[in-house]
Amino acid sequence: MSQARPETANTSTSRLAQAKGTLSLSQKPGAPKRSTRAIVGSIATHAVLIVTCLVLVFPILWVIFSSFKSNAEIQNTTIELLPQHPTFQNYINILTDPTHQFPFWSWATNSLGVALITMIIGVSIALPGAYALSRYEFLGKQGVLLSFLITQMFPGALLLVPLYRLFTDLGLLGHPYALVIAYATTSLPFSVYMMKNFFDAVPRELDQAGLVDGLGPFGVFWRIVTPLTIPGIAVVAFFNFMNAWNEFLLARAFLTDNTSLTLPVGLQSFVFAFGVDWGRLTAASLLVTIPVFILFVWAQRYLITGLTGGSVKG
Amino acid sequence: MADVRFEHVYKRYGDNPPVITDLNLKVADHEFLVLVGPSGCGKSTALRMIAGLEEISEGELFIGERLVNEVAPKDRDIAMVFQNYALYPHMTVFDNMAFALKLRHTSHEEMQQRVERAAQMLGITPYLKRKPRELSGGQRQRVALGRALVRDPQVYLLDEPLSNLDAKLRVQTRAEISRLHQATGTTFVYVTHDQVEAMTMGDRIAVLNAGIIQQLGTPQDLYDHPANLFVAGFIGSPSMDFFEVTLHRAGDGQADIVIGKGDEAQRLTLTGKAAEIVTGQAAGADGRPLIAGIRPEDFSLDGAQSGNGTTISGVVDVVEHLGNEQLIYVRLPGAYVPESTETKGSTARLDPSVRVSPGERINLRVETGNLHFFDPSTTNSLI
Amino acid sequence: MATVSATLNSPPAGRRRILRYLRSKWFAYACIAPIMLATTVLIYYPLVVGIYYSFTNASGTNPNNVGIPILNIPATFKFIGLKNYIDVFANTDPTVDVRQIFVQTLEWIIFNAVFHFVIGLGLALLLNRRMRFRGIYRALLIVPWATPQFVAAFGWRFLFNGDYGFINLLLEQLHLAPIDWAGQPSAAMAAVIICNVWLGIPFMTITLLGGLQSIPGELYEVAELDGASWFQRFWYLTLPLLRPTAVLVTMLDVIWTFNVFAIIFLITGGGPYHRSDTLVTYAFQVAITNQKFGLGAAYGVVILLILVVFVMIYSRLLRANEQVY
Repeated sequence: MSQARPETANTSTSRLAQAKGTLSLSQKPGAPKRSTRAIVGSIATHAVLIVTCLVLVFPILWVIFSSFKSNAEIQNTTIELLPQHPTFQNYINILTDPTHQFPFWSWATNSLGVALITMIIGVSIALPGAYALSRYEFLGKQGVLLSFLITQMFPGALLLVPLYRLFTDLGLLGHPYALVIAYATTSLPFSVYMMKNFFDAVPRELDQAGLVDGLGPFGVFWRIVTPLTIPGIAVVAFFNFMNAWNEFLLARAFLTDNTSLTLPVGLQSFVFAFGVDWGRLTAASLLVTIPVFILFVWAQRYLITGLTGGSVKG
Repeated sequence: MADVRFEHVYKRYGDNPPVITDLNLKVADHEFLVLVGPSGCGKSTALRMIAGLEEISEGELFIGERLVNEVAPKDRDIAMVFQNYALYPHMTVFDNMAFALKLRHTSHEEMQQRVERAAQMLGITPYLKRKPRELSGGQRQRVALGRALVRDPQVYLLDEPLSNLDAKLRVQTRAEISRLHQATGTTFVYVTHDQVEAMTMGDRIAVLNAGIIQQLGTPQDLYDHPANLFVAGFIGSPSMDFFEVTLHRAGDGQADIVIGKGDEAQRLTLTGKAAEIVTGQAAGADGRPLIAGIRPEDFSLDGAQSGNGTTISGVVDVVEHLGNEQLIYVRLPGAYVPESTETKGSTARLDPSVRVSPGERINLRVETGNLHFFDPSTTNSLI
Repeated sequence: MATVSATLNSPPAGRRRILRYLRSKWFAYACIAPIMLATTVLIYYPLVVGIYYSFTNASGTNPNNVGIPILNIPATFKFIGLKNYIDVFANTDPTVDVRQIFVQTLEWIIFNAVFHFVIGLGLALLLNRRMRFRGIYRALLIVPWATPQFVAAFGWRFLFNGDYGFINLLLEQLHLAPIDWAGQPSAAMAAVIICNVWLGIPFMTITLLGGLQSIPGELYEVAELDGASWFQRFWYLTLPLLRPTAVLVTMLDVIWTFNVFAIIFLITGGGPYHRSDTLVTYAFQVAITNQKFGLGAAYGVVILLILVVFVMIYSRLLRANEQVY
């Protein structure tokens, strides 16, 4: 029953890796003349893809260009993609906070700190747990796997109230760093499943070779298997970082003090009862997105790279 | 260097019948012992028990004088070559080979020295700085051997180390492993499913089936005197041909066997050793059903339709020319196929010069002195 | 598991067996301990407390109300049986039509799942061909995935702005009537769905593309030799072979969509008049905004039950189609 789940996380990674070998077959290399039908089909394909890509990228582009417009220009009712009078004023306002109402740097520090610590804690407890689930048969293993599967269905809304009370009673309410324990834990089941998949891909023979070579159980874990799953660790780390960086529900419920907010909640301050400061909101959004974007591109590469190639069989 | 002793060893998984039953085996010091058998016979399990990678459910295992049931693999002083090489992908060839030494805090110079010597023996010196994935299958195989070789263990364990190599490399590496055994003079335990490997490399061979040792002996022993139907069918390629026969005694130490039943029945007169042994036993009562075994090379083509008790005839199914010989698959009466054989029906190994074509009826002369006989109920050899 | 119970049950030398078992497994238990501790304290314990709350009148108006047995703090709220659940289903709140929220939740899930799957599959099929610029298309398609949810929500809210949002300006340009995205219920629902569809397309595309690429190429070559047309190959090969992947990612998609909070909360806030709320966003308002902890927890339990039932039915489906192969 629990076997169904590990494939989930794996579908994209392993299949992508496999896919490198078998690409498309409809066109063989060096195929001679292409028929007109094929050319029309090809043009249509490209047209559809270009339009789709445009639609998918456009919202981000619009935000980017608007962030260089003044609020007056933003409220202009003619469509102009490019700013007519490009200005950095929004960015300056965000970063210097002249009104002392929007402590962007505090939010950013909170977010970064929370995300990094979540990542470190999340990875360092998911790693050994996933290893045990991958390598050992022990009493209660099926129970652990099943319960982790079920936690994937837990709505944040259900945990919200008890966690709210728990945090209140432990005096943690309002402290951004207290969120770390909630984030690292709620990411755990998925992290463990992903990590277990990566561990499962490392052949057992390597563990055994390590044992014969003179390692103990910890040595096998730390010196043989872990170094081979660095791509997996990167992906899990990224997942934890992203989760913490993007989390809104708990942060919104638990944080109240303006300087203690994380970015998702902080940015909401630019939304007022009678309007939105779009200039600053778009600029701030962009600043928030950039680090995640870079991380994403980096993690993407690791998704596909397999390190095990070569050790086992052809 | 040490011997390895299994004493009444069992391996069970849960409540299933044991995969290894009452294993008693002594691998002598310096010996090259091959564990051979079909897949799932327990041979790898036995090997992995020596390594400590598999728990022992019952019984005792000794390496030298030491009881090792509860000893961790790292403290057993063994080296192992794995079927899929199990090279550490994140380490260079040098680091792969030096890893065990490093864990044992060997001095840097000695490590260097030992790895280089092993690399030289195996001809992999140019690859020491590479990662395993940059090597060909054969080169990886050598690194795997080298990793074991740099150690100075009590026992070398090899788990089907040649199964991923192509045919040509396999023959080459076979000889190389034999040479390494001679050079190191250490105990080798070698697991394979390939009886050719077993025959060519082992000082002694233990044939396993269903977790039980069927026979333990030298290669020649196993070939000449298989203890039962299983060993007879497993050792030798192509496999021994088996027939359901009935024994007919003609008094004065003479005996005939009738192969097949009814209209197809054919008669062979026993001679030499076979006749002596069968008739000398209580088992050889008149009219008793037996299983007779004939090695494919004990057939030869007989042009004459003699039928005087030295030939049997059958229709040719398929002819395979191998250059130095030809294999004839022929339909003979009473043919019996035990589970351990690789081919169905009967095979004759003939001189390449004779002409035989499918569909033809041929007479095959049998070396009746070399026949093997087995009890149909116990499958044990009567000889 | 069978091994374990067998070894533990055999009476002679049972203690030695247990010791031997622990000696071989201690590392596994040491490794698993941190995740068990963390999930117990922060997931399972709150889950149990949440279910407990759902039968009480816990709220922001009975302060110090949480009972923590370990710290000996008594509870100040009362056990009120199924009243919260009755409130959920009997529609007793005059200001909100809760049944309408159930309907909206269903709409939200169905529209998202269908659009995600259809668009994702279409793009995956297009990208599963060798062609020029494939890498660029793939990289661009991932952009929404790399965008933080709350940023996406702000961005779309900006695009949907009634006065100077890009979409209404575009409609004007096309001589169509502008839409009151914030004020008109169905438009508000459409707005949040569009944003979430946009966000979910990359995941679907990439996973389905992975599924497509894992289908061995020889199969298509054989089918081509057998004279199958493009559509026949799609219908008889691609779809059945993609089914296991598709069923799995759709299940995940539904669970994730159900639990989406930030999108709706940040774009429409559930408005106008709760007409773009789902159970999840509404539960947040009940529990946190209105401080009705008990009722909010009851909503949480209902959401969990719906998901559990859904997953049970769906995994039955999943197992059934595994047997086909």
